Amino acid sequence: MLLFLLRRSLFMVGMLFALLIITFVISHVAPGDPAALAAGPDASAEMIETIRKEHGLDKPLPQQFLIYVGGVLQGDFGNSIHTGREVVDDLVRFFPATFELVLASILFAILLGVPLGVLSAVKQNTWIDHVTRVFSVSGVGVPMFWLGLMLQLFFALQLGWFPLGGQLDMMTDPPAPITHLYTVDSILRGQFDVTLEALRHLVLPALSLCFPALASIIRVNRAEMLETLNQDYITNARAQGISPLRIVGLYALKNAMLPTLAMIGLRFGWMLGGTVLVETVFDWPGVGLYAVQTAVSSDFEPIMAVTVLLGFCFMVANFVIDIVYGWLDPRVRGTT
Amino acid sequence: MKPLWRMAVGGALIAATALTGAAADAFERADGEKILVVVGRQPVPILDPSVKYDASIRTMQQALYDALLKYEGTPPQVKPWLAESWSASDDGLVWTFKLVKNAKFHNGDPVDAEAVRFSFERTLKLNKGPAWMLNAFLKPENIKVVDSNTIQFTLDRPYSPFVSFLPWWYIMNPKQVMANEVDGDSGQKWMIEHEAGSGPFKLKRFEQGKLYEVARVKDYWKGFPYPGDPIGGVIYKLIRESAAQRAALIRGEADIVLGLSADEFDQVAKMKGIDTSTQPALTAFGLKFNTQGKFMSDINLRKAVAYAFDYDSFNKIYNGRATLQTSPFTDNVKGKIEVPGMPRRDLAKAKEYLAKSQWPDGGIELEYVYVQGFEEERKMGLVLIDNLKDINITVKMVPLTWPNMVARGSKKETSPDMMAIFATPASTDPDAVAIQYHPSSWGKYFGTHFYEDPELTKLIDEARFTIDWDVRAKLYAEIQKMIVAAQPEIFGMMRERHIAYRDYVKGFAYSPVRMTTEIDYYPLYIGK
Repeated sequence: MLLFLLRRSLFMVGMLFALLIITFVISHVAPGDPAALAAGPDASAEMIETIRKEHGLDKPLPQQFLIYVGGVLQGDFGNSIHTGREVVDDLVRFFPATFELVLASILFAILLGVPLGVLSAVKQNTWIDHVTRVFSVSGVGVPMFWLGLMLQLFFALQLGWFPLGGQLDMMTDPPAPITHLYTVDSILRGQFDVTLEALRHLVLPALSLCFPALASIIRVNRAEMLETLNQDYITNARAQGISPLRIVGLYALKNAMLPTLAMIGLRFGWMLGGTVLVETVFDWPGVGLYAVQTAVSSDFEPIMAVTVLLGFCFMVANFVIDIVYGWLDPRVRGTT
Repeated sequence: MKPLWRMAVGGALIAATALTGAAADAFERADGEKILVVVGRQPVPILDPSVKYDASIRTMQQALYDALLKYEGTPPQVKPWLAESWSASDDGLVWTFKLVKNAKFHNGDPVDAEAVRFSFERTLKLNKGPAWMLNAFLKPENIKVVDSNTIQFTLDRPYSPFVSFLPWWYIMNPKQVMANEVDGDSGQKWMIEHEAGSGPFKLKRFEQGKLYEVARVKDYWKGFPYPGDPIGGVIYKLIRESAAQRAALIRGEADIVLGLSADEFDQVAKMKGIDTSTQPALTAFGLKFNTQGKFMSDINLRKAVAYAFDYDSFNKIYNGRATLQTSPFTDNVKGKIEVPGMPRRDLAKAKEYLAKSQWPDGGIELEYVYVQGFEEERKMGLVLIDNLKDINITVKMVPLTWPNMVARGSKKETSPDMMAIFATPASTDPDAVAIQYHPSSWGKYFGTHFYEDPELTKLIDEARFTIDWDVRAKLYAEIQKMIVAAQPEIFGMMRERHIAYRDYVKGFAYSPVRMTTEIDYYPLYIGK
């Protein structure tokens, strides 16, 4: 197991370095002069040059890359050319909101998706199965952006049940940070009214974000459950008179969960990317929205930092899934 | 029902009741005071007046800071603000400003001539943001404190538009700025999210990417244009989606919205409880030709395209809220004349010009570049395709992100045949528009035409350094005619600006010199 962990860790470090190179190269070969954009439309050539020098953009590319990598190794992702703020400060400010949203979404997806997948398999070819399958197929097809707008219009504008967007009401002060997750911090601080408010703001964006993952989890879980339920050991268990609930919940689900776990890991990464759309619709102040704002102004440093951060999270999620996978299935440990 | 299910359903109902809430139907309140909520889509990444400005930044800067002068009204007039009076020497080189005596910064320090000198020097030395407006004519060492209430600027050479730029140069408190200097940065890091101003509002909250709140300064040195305390402050909240902005206005979660699409604006304008402002802007829209490109270097082809274009389409695209340009200068620019012979769709003339061009039978393809996702500009491209078909010219539509458009337009070799550009001059002085047709503007987004005419350049230079307005007016009349004759673009339209707000919002004062979503918080209050 230790060797397995070591191999995976080294692989992850290599992947991260490759990601650094790719993001740097793509950012710097893309058309557009960030210094000119930052200086403003009326700026003189001299003013543009001032900004270029200030941010080291006048240096040769290899030198810029070395400076960048050196900074990243020390936890310094540089400064935004548009605001002058340190990118790390921005990430610290925005990432917890994204993490909270993704966490809530993945929880929604697992808590709804796994039981629905199991139910659909157990009740195969009944109306429950048909409804669940239609739901799961549409879930994969419905664009998150559109779903978010529809949820917003119906539940926020029409019914007035939920806020239109944001993380808290305008006049509410966020809880003093401990984990930087509003729901968690407000509970830890005993501000339960803030917890409820944070949850109200979280429901619609989390539902929009979780929908594709929910659909995938249902589909994969149903398929795996169907296959597992036809295995000899399940037939044997039934013959021994073990209760159906125990067979499904314990014997079948454990094996069926292996591919589902892989799916959850992948979906976690995709969700981090998907937050760009959902955060834009719901004005959720996370890194997705930050990425959009910086991308439209060719602000290299934040774009690279967000890409590396999301890539890192994606890798960590998969790393954790690999470990769980290896723990659940010892055959995997020797193969990767 | 089994107990477990009962508990689950009950729990869900309790949770649903707790999580859901009724829609708001009035403005926000904080500590018993009315708070105005303005909703826009553009964040305020930085507050420092020396470093950056755009519509949302300047809205906030204007709330937090004062300048020597201020633009007000339609047409925009430069009015005294921190400066109660000013004068210029006969040769136009020395400008002297007398400051009001009662102005003070938010921390209580007086706004004196030294603060003005410091602020101008800081902006010029940092060489960012608004520095371009004056850095070619004013050196930091030529700003002199005459006495605590008198400041004098000596320009390198006469520069007529000088006063027209001063409303955008805000005065900072030197003590606060320098107390927060780190590694010789002139306080730049601190000034990103803090203020050192004397304006009608002070900063209360700066929650980047979410909202920005300012609190009204009750004892503001200039007072307010309304009696009592009908407003405690303003929250500028970010809602990026136009549909969500509309929803926020209808629900009463927003009092003013700044980013509605034309269709959504029309919808809310008919609703009870909502007022609107529709006013002409200083902004001009044009389709810039690359006059040094392979095709559009031919004046006859430029004229042919200009006469083939259906100008009425602008009004159709903007639901009737567009006014056609009758000069390269928009209506509120000083010295604007109605230029005779502005092209309008005339197919016979278009064919006549095409026959004189290098491509008498057409048969060419022109590239039209516009902002990706900008629906109105896309529609203009479709109009171009349809119109130019009549003279046997095809149009290739190329949507690009704004940074990529700017990059394409920065060199004559890569600038496209036609590019959709909105340009807002920084002041009402005619030089702010005329300079767009000067070689010094080449490569900037409004200079993607790369038009060169030494005679025109000479006239523009002469006009900007002439003091006598009567002489200048004649020069600018000639300049406008020359630009139209050269046809470096399809002179398009002045789009009207539309802002929707709840009917209890009072005091809204529009001025076309402001940028598209820039508003002045100073006169606003809640009349309910």
